[in-house]
Amino acid sequence: MDHIELSLTQSLDHCIKCNICTSACPVAAVTDAFPGPKYVGPQAQRFRHAAQPVPDESVDYCSGCRVCNQVCPTGVRIAELNARARAQIVAERGMPLRNRIIARSGLVGRLSSGPHAPLVNFTLNFAPARWLIERVMGIHRHAPLPKASTYTFRSWFKRRKPTVNGKRPQVVYFHGCSTNYYEPRVGQAAIAVLEHLGFEVIVPPQRCCGLPLLSNGDFPAAQKQHEYNVTHLLPYARAGIPIVGTSTSCTLTLKEEAPELLGLHGDDIRAVAAGTYDIFEFLRDLYMQGRLRTDFRPIERAIPYHPPCQLRAHRIGRPVLDVLGLVPGLRLQESRAECCGIAGTYGIKREKYQIAMDVGQPLFQFVRASGQDLALCDSETCRWQISHATGVATRHPIEILAEAYGLQP
Amino acid sequence: MYDTIVIGAGLSGMMAAIGRAERGEKVLVLAKGYGATHWSTGCIDLLAGCDDPFHGITQLAAQRPHHPYALAGPTMIEGGIARLRAICEAAGYPLVGNLNRHMLLPTALGALRPTTFAPVTMIAGDARQLRDGRPTLIAGFAELRDFFPPLIAANLRAQGIAATAAQLAMPPVGRQRDFSPATLARLCEQPAFRASLGEQLAALARQGDYARIGLPAILGLKHATEVVRDLQNRAGALVFEIPTLPVSVPGMRLYQILEDEFLRLGGRIQLGGFVQRGESISDTLVAVFSEAAAREQRHAARRWVLATGGILGGGARATPEGYVRETALDLPLQAPAGRAGWFAPRFLNEEGHPIFQSGVRVDERLRPLDAAGRLVYDNVMVVGGALAGFDPIREGCLEGAAIATGWMAGMS
Repeated sequence: MDHIELSLTQSLDHCIKCNICTSACPVAAVTDAFPGPKYVGPQAQRFRHAAQPVPDESVDYCSGCRVCNQVCPTGVRIAELNARARAQIVAERGMPLRNRIIARSGLVGRLSSGPHAPLVNFTLNFAPARWLIERVMGIHRHAPLPKASTYTFRSWFKRRKPTVNGKRPQVVYFHGCSTNYYEPRVGQAAIAVLEHLGFEVIVPPQRCCGLPLLSNGDFPAAQKQHEYNVTHLLPYARAGIPIVGTSTSCTLTLKEEAPELLGLHGDDIRAVAAGTYDIFEFLRDLYMQGRLRTDFRPIERAIPYHPPCQLRAHRIGRPVLDVLGLVPGLRLQESRAECCGIAGTYGIKREKYQIAMDVGQPLFQFVRASGQDLALCDSETCRWQISHATGVATRHPIEILAEAYGLQP
Repeated sequence: MYDTIVIGAGLSGMMAAIGRAERGEKVLVLAKGYGATHWSTGCIDLLAGCDDPFHGITQLAAQRPHHPYALAGPTMIEGGIARLRAICEAAGYPLVGNLNRHMLLPTALGALRPTTFAPVTMIAGDARQLRDGRPTLIAGFAELRDFFPPLIAANLRAQGIAATAAQLAMPPVGRQRDFSPATLARLCEQPAFRASLGEQLAALARQGDYARIGLPAILGLKHATEVVRDLQNRAGALVFEIPTLPVSVPGMRLYQILEDEFLRLGGRIQLGGFVQRGESISDTLVAVFSEAAAREQRHAARRWVLATGGILGGGARATPEGYVRETALDLPLQAPAGRAGWFAPRFLNEEGHPIFQSGVRVDERLRPLDAAGRLVYDNVMVVGGALAGFDPIREGCLEGAAIATGWMAGMS
């Protein structure tokens, strides 16, 4: 029995009903549809039994932001309880078509990106089309959907000439769907930085990390994705070559979400988890070992920075502040807002769009009040949500770091 | 990377962190989750069972040299409280009181609870005022669980206070399901909600000619002082808050004010960072490891403050075999030898129960000692509920001891 299993059964008693989680929950703060983590998590769990119908559907309104886990004084893993409860609902009743589609971000990305991307983007910007998509599919007409790229990151990486020769320490780059299909520039910045630091970057075959499937409750499909990734990343993990990602939700899934939610604890799964790093976590480790180049050009400006929920769920502090704090002149203003609301695919759903926008209000106000025309955030869907709500361009911090190194990706 | 790392984000940890940051140090607060602030009343209890708390503390310190108050000494007690009050004052949320006098404030059961400093939003409920013969109204929302105005009023009447009860109608807010104290506190900061609340209070105050109105402590999260002032103006009566069951809105306010101050001083807070173990070279703690996804995170610092609380706060845990262990650094604990020694035979034992006095034994500089009295770590200070030799809840000194020892770690 793994420790989530334990909290599902025995350690429910760790919950002392203090309501700290419910008071901190950004979703419960704005809607009645979600009564709060305490109720749908450790309390409703007492009524959930195998082979019996799920007692409460409100768990579907948990966005999975994990603020509850972070503030719980007794260490109950509430968000994981909720994710498993949702999977039980999906296993019982099946999954709506909409969720089946948006949970397959690899497939959607593959179909949207490429030379025909302008057509896709035009359609997704065309109000009548969005109206139709909302009616047929249940994706809110105003939901922030990313712009498909005319080329994929992988095609760029294959075509390019490596800028480093000779024997270098190696590092594996896990790009994730968003970098591959929507924001290749994030991957280009990451490659530029890693090569500037003297690494040879390897980009092995990879699929979607499976997080959208996990958060929409399709655990069997998520398991297939994870097993594929583990198979292709394992040789590197075994050889001690770090696996580094710019999508903080993908790296979290490889490290913890997939193994824990799916109950996979084999040696191979563990080896890949232990070898995976969020890119700024990796850079901070280099700095602590005295191996990070600090030949920065000064960047004289202030930029608002939102540490997304999925980064906070790594429980590694604020590596972006630690590393970008080394750049002369650069002043990052940390957002203390709980969540941007989007939570992956949550906020694009018709019935949840407004909840997500309400959840994000404190963050949007913070970004607007900064008066800056640029914001930073480690997570792609959060960046799209922030830009959608505020009109402020939002980029991955690695892009600023590349700029500070004077690199042209 | 850090000069000082404070483990724990309760009152003692935050006071220590602010103290170190004020001295120009680079400070990290590393905490499993929110601390006991969110469970507490938001008042500062110094010592129960005496008329003059400061005098009582002096006597207690003379009799019990290992008590946290004796270790901290009067300078740290006064200094810590003064600093905390200045921080709260600057945040527009003054803590009112006097070191030499108790207030008696009503609880959610209508009992009268001694405390030394209370937020300005509560002080009109002091029993000395309530006993002046003028009528007091206790009001609340039926939607808020565990706050029953009729029960509170009846118990206050039994203690000679002219109190009556009323239920307020929930203003139309588009929500019906659940009203936690925090939900209501956010609503109180919305002008329309407050206007409706104020109208109801004004009507009730006119009917009953009430001089004061006691309400659950949900009157705003960030702007409580203004909310209370506004409601007083609308109602034409004094308004005071009565602490609710957890989660405690006044406790959340206090934490928020301390967090704001600490961040303003350049500190860093990491919640969800559950410290598992330490790494040392002889008697120097060089690093701790916190639980994280897939692997532990290592944190290095020159000096450390352990502010993880006692059994309630999670700083001490009992094993099924009957041992009590310190959760972060596995420090030796001063505790009854076996489970049989935990409790006195009588539940309401006058001297309390031995298990509640367990904690880390320290030297005069708050550094941890082992059972033989030898120093464990030279660069660690232990503060607040994690300390041995006192029973903070029964003695009514939870906040006072936390502030005094926390401030001592912040200053020394």
